[in-house]
Amino acid sequence: MNAAYVPSDYLPVFIQLILALGFIVTTMIVTHMVGPKRNSQKKDDPFECGIPVVGDARTPISIKYFLIAILFVLFDVEVIFMYPWAVNFKQLGVTGFLEMILFMGLLLSGFYYVIRKGVLKWE
Amino acid sequence: MLPIILLSVFGIALLFLGFAKSKAILLPATLLFIAIAFGASFVDWGKNYMYFNDMLLSTNLSIAFTAIVLLSAFMVVSLSSSFLEDESAQPAEYYAIMLFSLVGAIMMISFENLIMLFVGVEILSVAMYVLTGSDKRNLRSNEAALKYFLMGSFATGIMLFGLALLYGTSGSFVLSDLRSYVNGGVAYGSPLLLYMGLLLLLVGILFKVSAAPFHFWTPDVYEGAPTLFTAFMSTVVKTAGFAALLRLLSFSFTGIYSFWGVILMAVTVITLVVSNFTAVYQSSFKRMMAYSSISHAGYLLIALTAVGQQSKQALVFYSLAYSVATIAAFGVLLVVSRHQSGEGKPTDESYDAFNGLARQNPLLGFIMTVAMLSLAGIPLTAGFWGKFMVFTTAANRGIFWLLVVAVLMSAVSIYYYFRVIIAMYLRDGQTTAIRVAPFYRYVLIAATILTIVLGILPNLVRSLV
Repeated sequence: MNAAYVPSDYLPVFIQLILALGFIVTTMIVTHMVGPKRNSQKKDDPFECGIPVVGDARTPISIKYFLIAILFVLFDVEVIFMYPWAVNFKQLGVTGFLEMILFMGLLLSGFYYVIRKGVLKWE
Repeated sequence: MLPIILLSVFGIALLFLGFAKSKAILLPATLLFIAIAFGASFVDWGKNYMYFNDMLLSTNLSIAFTAIVLLSAFMVVSLSSSFLEDESAQPAEYYAIMLFSLVGAIMMISFENLIMLFVGVEILSVAMYVLTGSDKRNLRSNEAALKYFLMGSFATGIMLFGLALLYGTSGSFVLSDLRSYVNGGVAYGSPLLLYMGLLLLLVGILFKVSAAPFHFWTPDVYEGAPTLFTAFMSTVVKTAGFAALLRLLSFSFTGIYSFWGVILMAVTVITLVVSNFTAVYQSSFKRMMAYSSISHAGYLLIALTAVGQQSKQALVFYSLAYSVATIAAFGVLLVVSRHQSGEGKPTDESYDAFNGLARQNPLLGFIMTVAMLSLAGIPLTAGFWGKFMVFTTAANRGIFWLLVVAVLMSAVSIYYYFRVIIAMYLRDGQTTAIRVAPFYRYVLIAATILTIVLGILPNLVRSLV
């Protein structure tokens, strides 16, 4: 417990917040006022690598893309946990090693489940 | 804390059992798993142990709440045989998610560190979002899941703000540190941040137990979710949420009762009045049950408002009585609505589905009647003693005006609970005899017997806690 902190100690944080917000708002207003405006049909179109815009963006997409994407994020994030563990490998000792084996075991059983479920099959 | 480990392992095991050729093994396996966890939860009975680096505390009270949650889950799962007939259902995944959500519920019940509270709430909520949307082809189910997810995420965010502020003032997540901080150091610190933190934390949990004015998601979500999961949500989530509130308020924050007592009183009155009067105007039975669950959150809040030694007993008994009666009511609704809706028709969950039910199905009629009487708080049912104990806590604390409101509102509730009974016994209907699977029937009968036995011998449970 550290009773030395009082609300006024957070003042710098608030100043930083106001400065950050102020910068964004000011630049947006100034660019709108100072910058030249030349509108045309072509310019108001959404930009897509120079290709003419076709159809609606909300077309149905195969669920497989989402599954692959979400699984990638999942395993990607789990792997991050191995870095701090690897750095502190010696200090954590046998307990840390066993805990990591447990963690990886759960993770791999999930991976096995995903494969058995046929999520990664791409006919 | 054995149940937490067991349920996690069993959940993973169930996922892999789902690959077996026959799905018939899933239901008995899940029931066995929950029964084992139920037995294992009593290993620590009579001892106060800290587990997992002082993250969780096991007491008799937490074991009692754990037992109620596991009992509710057992009953809900045993009513789930319809999964196995449904082609598009994924029973293994549903059961596994239910077991995982129980882990979250147990964490919420026995947390000693506020981080565990947050993790528990998240495990339980995320599981509920998935189960709400499990009827994938049903538009209402999808809508309910999305609504629940969005609003639940906001509530979680607010709760996290609260936790951060509490940590910022007291410098600790541990409940006993918070207690000594509240009791001793408030004058030196910054009480404003403490008050804000507690307020935001309360808002987060009150959302989860669907107390007004944070109840707007409840009717839509309860109606859209498959009936089985509605039963699960309205019993397990509520019990766990109130156990968490009790642990927080009766242990750590008793020192600033003058602050949160007023807030809870206001929330209680709003909850009782809004839910009971809105329930009167519902034409759908399932929606009425949603408002009924909000109103029972209001009665449970009375015991928290008048926090004391007796409120622990009252909360345990009330949760048990409420859970058993609610599951029995939803169990009957499940068979009746499935029977009334033929092939391709939407399921009929209005009061009219019950018209003339008791003529051909006296047993179902009786089970439903006992459940409704218990929810309304009529003597000789468990619900009566639940309400009696809750009101006693308020009387002992001297909050009589709250008591008057609660009694008036429970008189209002008799109207909408009795509408079902009247529909079953006095209205005309073409309901033919409904065939109920033997095991399903035994569970419903057991719930009814438990309701009546607790209504006659309330000391069976009261003396335990």
